[in-house]
Amino acid sequence: MRMPPFRVLSPKSLDEALTMSRELSESGEEFDWVAGGTDLLPNYKWHINVKGHVISLSCIAELREISEESIGAMVSINELAEHESTHPVLAKAADSIASVMIRRSGTVGGNICLDTRCYWINQSETWRESIDWCHKCDCGTGADCRVIPNQNTLCVATYQADLAPVLMCLGATIHLASPKGKRSMPLCDFFKLDGMTRNVLELGEMVTHITLPEDASDWSGDYQKLRQRESWDFPEAGVAVLWKGDEGYGPSSLRVATTGLESIPSLHSEEAEGALENWSGVETVEILSESIRKAVKPVQNTWFSPSYRRKMVKVLTKRACRELLVS
Amino acid sequence: MSEKEDAPKEIVGYRQQPGKLPFSRPGSGGKGKFSEATDQEMIPESQGGKLAQEWGPHRHDELISGRVIGKSTSLVDSSWKVTGQAHYGDDVRLPGELIGRIVRSPHHYARVLSIDCTKALELPGVVAIATGDDAKNKFGVLPVTKDEHAMAVEKVRHAGDLVACVAAIDEATAREAERLIQVEYELIDPIHDMRKGLEDSEEPIHDRGDYHIGESNVQKRVFQEFGDIEGMIENSVASHKKNWIFAGVNHAFTEPHAVVAHWDPTGRLTLYTPQQVPHYVHRALADVLEIPMHQINVHRTFVGGGFGGKSDPFPHEMCAAILARKSGKPVRITFDREEVYWVNRGRHPSRIEMNLHADDEGRICGIETDALIDGGAFASFGHVTTYYNGVLHTAPYEIGAFHYTGARVWTNKPASGAMRGHGAVNSRCAVEVGLDDLAEKLSVDPISLRLANLLPPHSATITGFRVTSIGMRECLERVREESGWNKKFRKLPLGKGIGIGCGFFISGSGLPIHWDPNKFPHATVHLKIDMDGGVTIHTGAADIGQGSDTVVAQSVAEVLGLPLDMIRVKSRDSDTSPVDLGSYSSRVTFMNANAAISAAMQIREELLDATVEITGAERSGLVIGDRRIFLKEDPAVGVSYLEALHKSQEDRGALVASGAYRTPPMGKMHKGAAAGLAPAYSFSAYVTEVSVDVETGQIKVDKVWAAHDCGKALNPLAVKGQIIGSCHMGMGQVLSEEMRYGRSGNLMNPDLLDYKIPSIHEMPEVIPIIVESNDPEGPFGAKEAGEGPLLPILPSVCNAVYDAIGIRTSELPMSPEKVHKMIEKRCRMEGVSDPNNLTSPSLQHSSLQGVLENRAKEHGKRDKDRRLDEGRSDYHNGALFGLDPTIPPDEVDPRWSVRVTPEEEYLESPRLAGSAWKHTERRHAEGQE
Repeated sequence: MRMPPFRVLSPKSLDEALTMSRELSESGEEFDWVAGGTDLLPNYKWHINVKGHVISLSCIAELREISEESIGAMVSINELAEHESTHPVLAKAADSIASVMIRRSGTVGGNICLDTRCYWINQSETWRESIDWCHKCDCGTGADCRVIPNQNTLCVATYQADLAPVLMCLGATIHLASPKGKRSMPLCDFFKLDGMTRNVLELGEMVTHITLPEDASDWSGDYQKLRQRESWDFPEAGVAVLWKGDEGYGPSSLRVATTGLESIPSLHSEEAEGALENWSGVETVEILSESIRKAVKPVQNTWFSPSYRRKMVKVLTKRACRELLVS
Repeated sequence: MSEKEDAPKEIVGYRQQPGKLPFSRPGSGGKGKFSEATDQEMIPESQGGKLAQEWGPHRHDELISGRVIGKSTSLVDSSWKVTGQAHYGDDVRLPGELIGRIVRSPHHYARVLSIDCTKALELPGVVAIATGDDAKNKFGVLPVTKDEHAMAVEKVRHAGDLVACVAAIDEATAREAERLIQVEYELIDPIHDMRKGLEDSEEPIHDRGDYHIGESNVQKRVFQEFGDIEGMIENSVASHKKNWIFAGVNHAFTEPHAVVAHWDPTGRLTLYTPQQVPHYVHRALADVLEIPMHQINVHRTFVGGGFGGKSDPFPHEMCAAILARKSGKPVRITFDREEVYWVNRGRHPSRIEMNLHADDEGRICGIETDALIDGGAFASFGHVTTYYNGVLHTAPYEIGAFHYTGARVWTNKPASGAMRGHGAVNSRCAVEVGLDDLAEKLSVDPISLRLANLLPPHSATITGFRVTSIGMRECLERVREESGWNKKFRKLPLGKGIGIGCGFFISGSGLPIHWDPNKFPHATVHLKIDMDGGVTIHTGAADIGQGSDTVVAQSVAEVLGLPLDMIRVKSRDSDTSPVDLGSYSSRVTFMNANAAISAAMQIREELLDATVEITGAERSGLVIGDRRIFLKEDPAVGVSYLEALHKSQEDRGALVASGAYRTPPMGKMHKGAAAGLAPAYSFSAYVTEVSVDVETGQIKVDKVWAAHDCGKALNPLAVKGQIIGSCHMGMGQVLSEEMRYGRSGNLMNPDLLDYKIPSIHEMPEVIPIIVESNDPEGPFGAKEAGEGPLLPILPSVCNAVYDAIGIRTSELPMSPEKVHKMIEKRCRMEGVSDPNNLTSPSLQHSSLQGVLENRAKEHGKRDKDRRLDEGRSDYHNGALFGLDPTIPPDEVDPRWSVRVTPEEEYLESPRLAGSAWKHTERRHAEGQE
């Protein structure tokens, strides 16, 4: 395995990074941001969408700040998992990511922006050549999608990161910066359907930090994930359920989000509201779980089959609600 | 002048008179100044020591000096590894080296029309390019099935097959050149499904000329019938039938293949390669390069895991040598992980039909096996694998009949080959799960069923294998005891289960592939001892991490009474090592240690002679202890090791000795009788406890009690390591590992993220239990421990899952997905909506249980008597069914006659693999034309 040559730039501040971004864009050069490198570099080794330049964010101190309300994009996943002010459900999700070595390199921003994955793209170049390329990996070759053939408009690669569903349920806001300026939006609006585009980030734009609303600590809940092995593996399905105000009469607010099932994570507001309306404990959880199962549409491009993953979404949802029923 | 007077008077250095240098004594030679007292706990009873010998004395007892054998010893090469100084294949750096890369086929099956290297050759930095035209001679690990080329000649046979190779000044250039080589292909319809391989094809993947089986892709077929086939069904009161599908698995060793080839200025080739079988590579190189073997030195580097995956001569090794010859420079080729999967040689994907029958006395009156195995694009070890899938489950049980049909087909996939537990693993799993099911049907305990049907020690199996020591009964009894089996089996709550599985494996293959075993030995070891007292061992046995260097060092150290640091093992270069067949079929400890003992015994004799000469002591009273030879009755009379050594060296210099091992004549005469023959066999029994999540189908293996009969643990630490490692590897196959081929026929997971090796989180607590059955021919009683321990883990997990949730899989790996499906099915059948409300299986013993327990007790006594009685009579499989144990049944009973080709009647409705016999070999078909 060998990465193609590329130039690494290491800005010391956010402003410097954005200047570099602008200069590269203006000169028509393509580049990638690199944070921990645990996602980008394996893809580079596989020669997947390699760029000539890489801007490393590792020397920018301001991106490493972490507090109860704000988490910098360059905070390592391990630090997030172990930090005292991290919301317990977020800490649980963080602690379940990959392996401890990867968590020490991987970052919060990198995890949120994780590239989508698919059996037909996360392969070596020789391998991809042998299937005559795929729609995502080799844009421009005119190749068809290998998962759902006879359509080359939509990429169905799967988003397999763990932090997003929990952050979505906590009502997180994501903050972006580009040479054109800064902008913020609810995390739910950050993701944009299609395995190729994945999110709203524009050319030269980056994630700077995540903020959580003041009431984040009032929410309790759970995150459950499905995978073959307890280490290394990406989630084949992940469900976050968070709720508020349970005083024996059921929750006053309820949020459910899923990951690992489609090209973007989803917040299931309708299903959650439906459950709140006629809360009756166990039965409601059963109905809610079933509605989440129906709401997701995985495809055959990861380790487990789509039908199994959907069935497990139901089990995971129920399990994530367990605490809710106990109290 | 006064200064001169103060100078020392003794002359030092070379001027001193020869022979006057004082050697310190006694105990001189090692690091410790004095020799240690012999530890009587390590000396066998037969020699007057305190080491109990329940299994009787051994022919090597008198060689025991109590030094190292039987003591947990860290491997002699471990400090090299843990300090990072061990040089593996890719660590070899020769001055001026070039980097080689291989151009591989993107197609599953195609004719190579043309290869255009012009552009690549124009690239600055490219030094040499080679294609199939550069080396047209075929090679292969088995002389009977040489079907590989260094690079494609005419055809490519799987995606990833080699087409060309290039050497350049660095990796980037080589990779760039790889892209510039233009290959024109003509596609041929590929075959991916092994069942298709049984049919006639327009373009079979190989052409074996007159020996081709029809026009099919059948590479090898086997038909065998032993015992009372007709009576099998008649007498049966319970039968088990199951069609299994086993996914292929890869060895997934840590170190990818890597090789360095160098032609030195004298025109000799040295090939540096992490190999399990350097000698076969040596032969293949000579064939392919068309140079005599003496012009080649194969240097085995440290091997970062083999497990059978580095036991073929490989095309990339040929490529490196060809490129190095063309370029005149050393060439290094290192694989990416996916290349490891493309060269594969992993366990065969298989479809196995397993039928077992039991009679009213709880005897196994028949085993019928049909195994179709997917060989991929090349033969590799497949000829042998086809036999092993059948013959290696004819023990440890005494059986009434054995019917086996096996076939290996070529498909357009990377070649399957030998992998730890070669050929035995899948069918063993099917047999042991079948026995569990039979026990269920007979309402008896599955351990009792096994204990009442074991072959005794020193017996012959139904196929005529000579089995010597057997510790099967003790393995079963110990795991039953230590796991608390009787309190748990069929008594645990839903989702918790316990299961049993057994294993039987060869300890060395009886036939040395390349030559007549009656003419040449299997293993040879040379010893050299010079004045320093250190012993140099020359052996060709390949240490692949299993500790073969350590075992051979231990054997010599034990016989000569030396500490291990006085032993150095030179096992790397074919230039200096005597020929050894290599590390496969678990042969090394048995054969190589026997050869080492035989060499050490010669040195021992010379040391004893010298001692007699110096001391005048009675020779028969002498024993060897720690660096000292003395009278057992009067230890004050004796000499140090060095004194004896120097005495022996008088007039001749360094002592040298050569020891060899060959197998005794064994086995029957029918076609294929040699497959599965071994000088000894290992036995094992595991009990496994699992938890199954009934909602998700996820299985967690909680604990394994793993008993293995290795004859004698020469190094208990290494044996335990092998047992635990085997559990890990087998657990991967049973739970999560598979080479998954997608709908395009491509391998979807040629990487270690999606090829799911269990992580530390999945690994259960393993309690290794060593059973020592003291094999009469094994070195100090030892047998293998490297492969056999893998077999029982698969069925014991399967059977534990049944105990937990009442479902039996017929497909491996048992992924959560498949288990969940089976749970859903059971729920539907029983009308249960919540799987948590399922019932777990229970057991009410039938009257047969008592019969089995009594028989097991009687047999226990029979076995104990047999193992200690030197004058024991013969025992042939069949005695349990009322036949005379002393005569092979096929010689007296026509119903027990041996058949190795099917009759017309069988071919009317053959089983899956059996249908391979519908074809006629071309040489026989020609007459009809």
